[in-house]
Amino acid sequence: MRVVVIGAGLGGLLSAARLSKAGNSIEVFERLPITGGRFTNLEYRGFQLSSGAFHMLPHGPGGPLAKLLKEIGADVRIVRSEKTTIRMPLEKGDADYRQGFRDIPFNEFQKPLSNRDRLKSAYLIVSTRKYPPEGSTLKEWISSQVKDEWLVKLADSFCGWSLSMRSDEVSVEEVFEIIENLYRFGGPGVPMGGCKGITGALEKVITANGGTIRTKTEVSKILVENGKAAGVVVDGTEHKADLVISNIGHAATAGLCSEILSKEKHAEYFRALEALQPSAGIKICLSAEEPLIGHSGVLLTPYARRINGINEVTQVDPSLAPPGKHLTMSHQHVAPENIGKLEEEIEMGLQDLKEIFPGKKYEVLLIQSYHDSWPVNRASSGTDPGNNTPIPDLYVVGDGAKGEGGIEVEGIALGVARTMEKILG
Amino acid sequence: MKINDNCVGCGQCTSFCRQGAIVVMGKARITDACVECEICAPYCPVKAIEVPI
Repeated sequence: MRVVVIGAGLGGLLSAARLSKAGNSIEVFERLPITGGRFTNLEYRGFQLSSGAFHMLPHGPGGPLAKLLKEIGADVRIVRSEKTTIRMPLEKGDADYRQGFRDIPFNEFQKPLSNRDRLKSAYLIVSTRKYPPEGSTLKEWISSQVKDEWLVKLADSFCGWSLSMRSDEVSVEEVFEIIENLYRFGGPGVPMGGCKGITGALEKVITANGGTIRTKTEVSKILVENGKAAGVVVDGTEHKADLVISNIGHAATAGLCSEILSKEKHAEYFRALEALQPSAGIKICLSAEEPLIGHSGVLLTPYARRINGINEVTQVDPSLAPPGKHLTMSHQHVAPENIGKLEEEIEMGLQDLKEIFPGKKYEVLLIQSYHDSWPVNRASSGTDPGNNTPIPDLYVVGDGAKGEGGIEVEGIALGVARTMEKILG
Repeated sequence: MKINDNCVGCGQCTSFCRQGAIVVMGKARITDACVECEICAPYCPVKAIEVPI
């Protein structure tokens, strides 16, 4: 089968590698001069910063992405993070970290609760595995169970870090699916070599199987013949294919077949596209000589103004920074109403970092923001229309087509795996 | 070189600029250090860097 893949982001490369390994003839077209999309390394002042993701897989070496990479035969090593910690104010009742703080392990998150609420949460941890709650936002559900605002703060920090959403924006079903996946696959891990360690390995699989990846090459149109996808147009030249996989999101994909798709005939699909809400966030990259976090996992910061969590990937792979330096990256969710005030949001994040790391020496390397057409996620978790399009033999993969329960790149891998099942059987 | 409203502030251009001439804080800004080499433009994922014709 001849396959054209539009976009060399993680979803596109995973699909291309999987299909090339199955013996298909693959052409990948990438608009930019670099591959990897928002999942590759950007070299900056000797550091391996990233074009988007945090050099971290939410479910580490046991997750859906690691599984798919193994199936594909990509040569990557993913190291499980040792722990996740939560930074708490020193005294219960303090609103922030200014009077001091202490870190607790994630699995002791019930400790700050009253005895009564702790018992209730212990009961809920067991009962919700059998009967997951449904029909509300996460925040509504938590507030209906436990009055203590601590759990909402923790939920905001966790959802902010992992989904770039607030607990009142995400459905309780989606979060419980994620929690179930954490039981199933385990917590985060860091790929050696960062994001590029993975996308680079996928490219090797594609080229080793005879596939081609062309950068600086923009697809202008998706060809449709007899109602089915039949290839693409690049620089005025037709490239025929039996199958087209798009890694550029549903909206941009629909834009490439505007002659075929009509708002009347495909009203349902267009309604789904209009409902898509990309998520926004800010990453602040820090350089420090002494470790700021001191472990390879996530530090959640529920009592910061804006920062949701921070990681320090050089704890696993020191080569991501120059010798003697650490690379520490913070993430903060940006609410839709604040996208127009990014500078203020960044200032709050920088102020947070001063209070999270008082007395520590660090330098701000680069501040990166993501929203709208280059977002954290093209579709917020649990809201996308899946991998199918109204046109047979045209599929969408990537962070705009993840499906349920998949955090970030794990969701991308689940979407690709489902698409491969449809194609390869 | 001009940065248009497409810019989201992802900093990709900053990492490819050899002159250290692009600062980014919510949006990219080109400083006086720019030598108009145009290397940055194709790396922008949202076509926000306009090259003078």
